[in-house]
Amino acid sequence: MIQLSYLDYLAVEGKSFLHRLSPTLKIIGMLMVLSSIVILRTLSGLFLLYGILLALFFICRLPLRIFFLTLYPLIFSVLFIFISGFEINFILLIFLKGLSGSTGVVLLLATTPYPLIFRTLDRFLPSLFVTALFLTYRSIFILLKVLEETQHALYLRGGLQWNHPWRSLNNISNAFGHLIIKGIDASEKMYESMMLRGFKNKIHYRGE
Amino acid sequence: MEERMSHIHLPDGVLPVWLWASGFMIAILTGFILFRFIKKEELTRRLPLLGMMAAAMVLGASVEIVPIAYHVNLTVISGILLGPSLIFLATFVVNVILALFGHGGITVIGLNTLTLSIEGIFGYLFFRLFRKIFKKLTPATFLATLLALCLSTFSMIGVVGLGVSHYEELIHQEKEKGIFEFNLLKEKHDQHGKERGEVNMRRFVAIVLPLGFLGWLLEGVVTTLIARYIHRLRPDLLVLERKLL
Repeated sequence: MIQLSYLDYLAVEGKSFLHRLSPTLKIIGMLMVLSSIVILRTLSGLFLLYGILLALFFICRLPLRIFFLTLYPLIFSVLFIFISGFEINFILLIFLKGLSGSTGVVLLLATTPYPLIFRTLDRFLPSLFVTALFLTYRSIFILLKVLEETQHALYLRGGLQWNHPWRSLNNISNAFGHLIIKGIDASEKMYESMMLRGFKNKIHYRGE
Repeated sequence: MEERMSHIHLPDGVLPVWLWASGFMIAILTGFILFRFIKKEELTRRLPLLGMMAAAMVLGASVEIVPIAYHVNLTVISGILLGPSLIFLATFVVNVILALFGHGGITVIGLNTLTLSIEGIFGYLFFRLFRKIFKKLTPATFLATLLALCLSTFSMIGVVGLGVSHYEELIHQEKEKGIFEFNLLKEKHDQHGKERGEVNMRRFVAIVLPLGFLGWLLEGVVTTLIARYIHRLRPDLLVLERKLL
């Protein structure tokens, strides 16, 4: 999840043609990719789709570090190897569908700043849901800082050790407890400041 | 794969359209029903908390417990703190954000929300029930987490099981088309007879359940320790009389 801030940085600082494209067009493009994934049932078609997405990924000069994010669905697709009885065509089909989907969404997120994605979604989805999505996204950055600090403190004090699994588990659980309590405190402050600014269940984006 | 067996990150295009479309419809309907019980002011007041708990769930999925390579889930503790309606929206949001990072498909957000919210909602209900029975925090939290995760894992197996005929269809249509590079492998499979082209849910269940059981135990221990920590610092958050949405 540390990649989150890096993705955000890439989306804001990038200068490629995809970065300059309107967020609405990119979301429509993503929906078309999803429809193709659902409709396509041949390996050749899926190879072509994945090839196009890979080409876009490298044309936009997105770093390899982000590319590894797109490989994550492979871990879960492995389960389908056991379901299918090791049928290679089926496994490839599932892998390609998973890879195309993840490459598409990572491409969208790495070329579009998240307030722009949420502003576009706000036109089609209930504002309550989009507000919850926005607040969660914002909260991730707040809690990420707390989590990193707690992790450092744990490492420096020898709180995570292979030879003391129970103590390590206890310390990790306390760290999460600390994270939750810090989160609750921060949410109370966030609510007060939002109310002071006239919040009424909807976040208004710049330009609205 | 060792992580969160109750919440499988299915890729797009694997499940049949009717299944994931129904998942979306049921999730929207459930959300609509649950939110009918919430007062608007109360919802506004608790939205930042919802955001924070959803963020904690997303971050929990990214931290590995090193000696045992496990990722925590935090859905049950979030369910206990947020209540049934808000945990439903929180799981929806968590699934959208995870899908945006390629951790699972966009089309299966509805189904993933339903399976993950089972954990949060039942975790909350079991916690209240066991807290009344045992009068102690530790056994109530542990049992609530264990049972909620067990329910959620079985619902996930049920979801995957509903798509069996679709997987068979995918296997057979690809077989008929045939691609030169893979013909050699196909012939080898032919020798196994029954193995070829059959969807084997038993094998899937045999892998998922033992891994899932370990996950339930670990999550149960971690959630209990978190609840004890919260109880030490903010006992007001775990009081049963507290009215939740």
